[in-house]
This record gives sequence, structure tokens and C-alpha cells, in this order.
Amino acid sequence: MTRKILIVDDSPISRRMLKSCFPKEQPYEFYEAGDGLAGFELYKEVRPEITFMDLTMPVMDGATSIDEIRKFDPKALVIVSTADVQIKSLTRVMELGAFMVLKKPPSKESVLDALTQSEELLG
Amino acid sequence: MEQEQTLLSEEERDILQEIMNIAFGQATADLTEIINVHVVLNVPYIKVLKAIDMPGYLKNELAGHEAISMVEQHFWGEFKGSAYLIFPAGAGKELVTIMGEGGGENEFESFMSDVMEKETLMEVGNILIGACVGKVAELLGDRVTYSPPRVAIENYATDSLPAEIFDLQASAIVLRTVFNFNERDVSGFLFLLTKYDSISWLKKSLVTFMEKYE
Repeated sequence: MTRKILIVDDSPISRRMLKSCFPKEQPYEFYEAGDGLAGFELYKEVRPEITFMDLTMPVMDGATSIDEIRKFDPKALVIVSTADVQIKSLTRVMELGAFMVLKKPPSKESVLDALTQSEELLG
Repeated sequence: MEQEQTLLSEEERDILQEIMNIAFGQATADLTEIINVHVVLNVPYIKVLKAIDMPGYLKNELAGHEAISMVEQHFWGEFKGSAYLIFPAGAGKELVTIMGEGGGENEFESFMSDVMEKETLMEVGNILIGACVGKVAELLGDRVTYSPPRVAIENYATDSLPAEIFDLQASAIVLRTVFNFNERDVSGFLFLLTKYDSISWLKKSLVTFMEKYE
């Protein structure tokens, strides 16, 4: 089954890095947005199974975007992909309903772990 | 503009910006383990300019702040240059309070308060610069050593920054990130200036870094 993956990050390099870490043997359909607002709009349109969300972004930050997405779809599975690993930042996004946090830079192992955990939830 | 295009391509700038983002994220996490603050991060950016243009550039960047204090630390490795952590004047006192050290009323206590302010600026500078530069170097496969931090200028008028405080032979790949200490009205700016002879190493290392993500 092809999973729809939404990546929200203002850095095109960061999006590229994350995509390259996905297992090549699995089919994924990627969608990308460069800020939290564009990410929210794309989420409503695409309804991805998994969303990877950066936190520090222009226009709308990641925490606000998660909040909007979860209000729109309380079952949304959002993985925070961030360099901001302060406890307070991570606590806040978990309170907003993020599924887990992926620390930047991503690796094949960390992305596989995140996908495996997500699959368990998605069933 | 011509120099900017020659030194770093757009993609190289994007990679360096992302590396800076990761590095400063790590640096703030290190700082918050030591002092009980939350640092609000902003999107970092990369700009290439001549070191001699730095004072003018900073004057624009710091518009609204009459005076600044600046902590300076040099670093050496394949990646070498200088890091500057800049705070608006008065930020030192706020940081002292954040770190739980109060100022005094009498002359001696006031003197000690000034000393404490300077020490605090250096300590915060040491942590943020060390962790940030160290992480940039690590991600690019390098190790660096550092000079001790020093307060290069203290409560200095922003509109009369002397050009000589910067190494005028350095290329200024300015890695700028702005941050705010949440719950306190303190913000700061971190700039890294890299030496010209680091550029070819930097360009190669950026390619190597991205090869892991092909």
C-alpha cells in the first residue's frame, strides 16, 4: 500500500534529506510544503497518512500548524522533525498531539523507526 | 553580490543554513540544561559579505538597539574563523537574573554586579558558541579548538562600531541566527565569520555531507 507522506519544512535541503532516508523498497507518495500554513492547507487537500513537521518556520510555525491540523483532523498522525530539542519545545508539541519527535539530522535508522511506530498505529 | 555567487552556490548556502539550524538547536538545548530558560529559535540565514562591511551590516541588523555587548571567540580546525554573540546592552543584567544571581545596591555590590554581568555574558557565549560551532564542525567531519571567550565590546554604541574589531582578512560568510529567551525580554544574535582559506574545505565538506542523503 502506498502511503501518502506530507513533509512540512521551510528548508528544501532538509526536505530532501528526510526523503532520502525513507526505505527504498516501500512505495511512498511525497507531498511538500514550505511553511506551517501551506502545510495545513496541503494536509486538508491530500489527507496524508503521516505528516513530518518542522517547528521553526516562517509564516506559521510548526506548533501552530500541528494545532490547526489536529483540530481539523483529531486522528492526524504528525511526527515532529526538528533541531529544536529543548524539553519545553518537545513537551509543547506532544501536548498539541504530535505522535513523536524525530531529531535532526534524520538518518535511515531514525526514519525507519518512526515509520515502524507509525505503521503500528495506522494498522 | 558577485562575491557571494563565487563563494557559495545557492545550494551550498541552503545546506549550510540547515547545518546551522541543527547546530544552534543543539546549542540551545545544551544551554537550557544549565540555565532554566526556554530559547525561542528563529529561522537562521546565510549571507556572504566582506568583513569590512560587517559594522554597517550590524548597524542595520541592530536598528532599534542603541548599544550592544559582544562576546567573541575564535575557533581553529579545517573550519576556522570567529564567532560573535551579540546582545543589546542591558541583556547581561537580565541574563544574570535568569541565572539566579542578583545585583547589589552599594558600590561594591554594584561593582560585583558588573563583573557578574560580564562573566555571565562570557559563560552564555562560551556555551552557545562552543556547542554551535562544535556541531557544525562535527556534521562536516571536522574538530575545532577554541580561544577563551572574551567580551570584545561592552555597552558600545551601535552606530559607531569600529571595523577593526573584525578580522578584515576574513570572508564573512555570516551565519546569523536570532534567538529570544522566552519569559524574558532578552534577544541575541550569533554570527560566525569564516576565513577565506576555509572556503574550499567548506565547499567539499558540504558535498560530502549531502552524499549521505543521495
